[in-house]
Amino acid sequence: MSPGFDLPSRRDAIHQHKASGKKIAALFPIHYPRALFYAHGLLPVEVWGPPYAQRALAAAHLQAYTCDVVHAGLGFLLSGGLRSVDAIVAPHGCDSLQGLGSILLDFIQPTPPVFPFYLPRAGRDCDAEYFENEIESLSQKLAAVSGCNPSAEELASAVAQDEAADAALLRLWERRAELALDNQALYALSRARGYMPPEEFCARADSAPAAGATPTAAKTVVLSGVIAEPGDLLTLLDRNGVRVGADDTLCLGRRFYPAGRASQPFRRMAERILEGPPDSTRGSSIRERCEHLLSLCRRSGARGVIFRLVKFCEPEQFYLPALRRALEEAGIRSLALETDLATHLDGPSQTRLEAFLEML
Amino acid sequence: MSLLSSIAYRLNVDLIGKAVLRLSRRRSERALRRRGEPPGPLAPPLFCSPQLKELISRHYLRGRYANGHRPVAWVTSGGPIEHLQALGYFLIYPENHGAVCGIRRTAQELCQVAEEAGFSRDICSYARTDIGSVLSGRTPVGRLPRPDLLVCCTNICQTVLYWYQVLAYHFQVPLVLIDTPFLYRPAEPHAVSYVRQQIEEAIPVMERVARRPLSPARLERVLAESKQAVELWMQVLERGKARPSPILAFDEFIHMAPIVEMRGEPDTTAYYRVLLSELDRRVAAGVGALREERRRLIWDNLPIWYRVRPLSDYLASRGVALVASSYTNAWGELAPLMDPRQPLDSLARVYLHPILNRSTGDKLRTLSRMVQEYQASGVLLHSDRSCKPYSVGQMDQRERLGRELSVPALLLEADHNDPRSFSEEQVASRLEAFLEVVLS
Ligand code: SF4
Ligand code: SF4
Repeated sequence: MSPGFDLPSRRDAIHQHKASGKKIAALFPIHYPRALFYAHGLLPVEVWGPPYAQRALAAAHLQAYTCDVVHAGLGFLLSGGLRSVDAIVAPHGCDSLQGLGSILLDFIQPTPPVFPFYLPRAGRDCDAEYFENEIESLSQKLAAVSGCNPSAEELASAVAQDEAADAALLRLWERRAELALDNQALYALSRARGYMPPEEFCARADSAPAAGATPTAAKTVVLSGVIAEPGDLLTLLDRNGVRVGADDTLCLGRRFYPAGRASQPFRRMAERILEGPPDSTRGSSIRERCEHLLSLCRRSGARGVIFRLVKFCEPEQFYLPALRRALEEAGIRSLALETDLATHLDGPSQTRLEAFLEML
Repeated sequence: MSLLSSIAYRLNVDLIGKAVLRLSRRRSERALRRRGEPPGPLAPPLFCSPQLKELISRHYLRGRYANGHRPVAWVTSGGPIEHLQALGYFLIYPENHGAVCGIRRTAQELCQVAEEAGFSRDICSYARTDIGSVLSGRTPVGRLPRPDLLVCCTNICQTVLYWYQVLAYHFQVPLVLIDTPFLYRPAEPHAVSYVRQQIEEAIPVMERVARRPLSPARLERVLAESKQAVELWMQVLERGKARPSPILAFDEFIHMAPIVEMRGEPDTTAYYRVLLSELDRRVAAGVGALREERRRLIWDNLPIWYRVRPLSDYLASRGVALVASSYTNAWGELAPLMDPRQPLDSLARVYLHPILNRSTGDKLRTLSRMVQEYQASGVLLHSDRSCKPYSVGQMDQRERLGRELSVPALLLEADHNDPRSFSEEQVASRLEAFLEVVLS
């Protein structure tokens, strides 16, 4: 059951922000310090696709073996989808995103300025120190767009807002079992974190209705892989009375960043990302990912894991065999679904998913 | 170290193996001399080829008996190896081993082993070849030693990091990561010091696994040897600027093995001296790698290992010499950055700057410069399904080469190690059409 959840769309959020005279930064996946953008008065809006983007335009720049997230993102940009933004940020998340950032800077050169930045691949002190400097360097570059150089207080207050919004998102998922939200509504709300101002998101997340008595979903699964799309996937789960009890997707669960510890804002931003849940794009070991996934299953009571993969996504594909083996050894079934960022789930995937849900 | 392993090593490598390989080299050299001028468009093979074969075979023979005698590290091809060399590690480069499997046509079957174990056919075919070899124990080189340490450097791609995580999980050995920020623009100071710091922090791990301390004097010697080998390699490549070129990129693909996996060793330096003097003799005598060199091309990206010979024959039959490649160039161009007296600082710069860690625009500048310096009339861009970091950007690079330099460039869709992603007809017809333009 999904209550009438009146969420502003991405477009509404952008218009509203623009109407108040403020600026927008479009962000490609995956990890980036949202707080930095808040401190610069920029609203960070994520570009994961979108599914309906005109990929044909991107085909002039990208070979067919580049993943669909990158194809769709570039297609969207080239079709004018990012016309209203003031800056484009291309974080380094994988080899394909590296290529995207580089061709944007060197060849495509869109009108809004493009800012790449690098994410270190481990959580050592030297990684945190490097990342802190990298974020500071990005901040200096962003000043050309935002027209401001945030003070230490402004940065600290933006970090606090960001941490509050992430904490609200985490609370939402901790209350998963008692929420009166079906999968579609829960994901719509969670993904709104990728474009809503933090204080608005907090209010929305904290007021998500509970069902009163803990509703008993017949079956619970964990969703892993890249992204909870297409919407059909969630609809099908809802239709079958299956609840996503925990999320381990690149787009959501692997960005449930904890609060930072350092008092220096750039260091704290760096720390938060580097200490996030295990993730292949941040160089986590297979063991860490196995343990995390098993603990998500245990905590949510999930009997199965659905890996929602994107073709040519190496960060996911390398880890998959070991993750599935670890799940199998723990008596948990898993299903790997590989599709593009389509608006609909294709027939064979739908059949496989239905068969999997029946087996749980 | 075990006494038995050391005895086996000395016996099989230093005594029997060495003698057998030397004998086989002598035989090949005699056969080469007797063979004289072969028919066809290609000049006779380089006389130093048997020496190269001996060097590589000895390397893998050493590997076969290394466990228990020397510490073993598996390293990515762009990884910093000078400290490992100085600590006496035996080094295995899974990518080079992958290339050997590609040339010997065993890569496909190994890839299939990995795929049967659940690894997607869409991941890099070097990684699949290696994982397949690890899982099955099969390799055309006899036996690969088990690693005591894994060293992964992201200066070629992020793929190696996921791949080495798979290896670390399988072998349960320490994994040292040297993470190198991708250079969209010139390196910022914090990127250089980050790499430096990581190399510095890796040393105690390497020492612990090797159970011996690093000797600074030995490191300086290895670095000096490494720098010399890299400089010699660069000179070898530069001989391709002569007209006619005494060497083809196809030869370089084979002769690059020591610079990747044995730099820092005196035998490697010695070998490149021999190769260089043979090339110099060819240049002085006006002997080209092709009997008739009509046009010159540049190659971009990894070789198509299982098609090196047919491609070389085909281009040779049309009088087209592949005189250089951005791939082999990558192991030579950074020589000026190496400074044996400042090991950490200079290595940090060297390992941050390989072509695969630089922007797509920078790669275009490298290709453009090579076109001019080698007086080439076109570029073959191997669009390698397996290698996104090398390939993404090629479509724009092709367009710019045509528009800004009036240099025709062809995108050849293939895969460096998996023949299932190679369409003979499609490649042949595209090449044919391209050569018509180049030769007109
Ligand atoms: S889907 Fe995978 S390959 Fe594509 S951008 Fe995301 S992490 Fe990179
Ligand atoms: S992706 Fe490319 S650079 Fe990386 S290991 Fe494979 S072939 Fe080498």
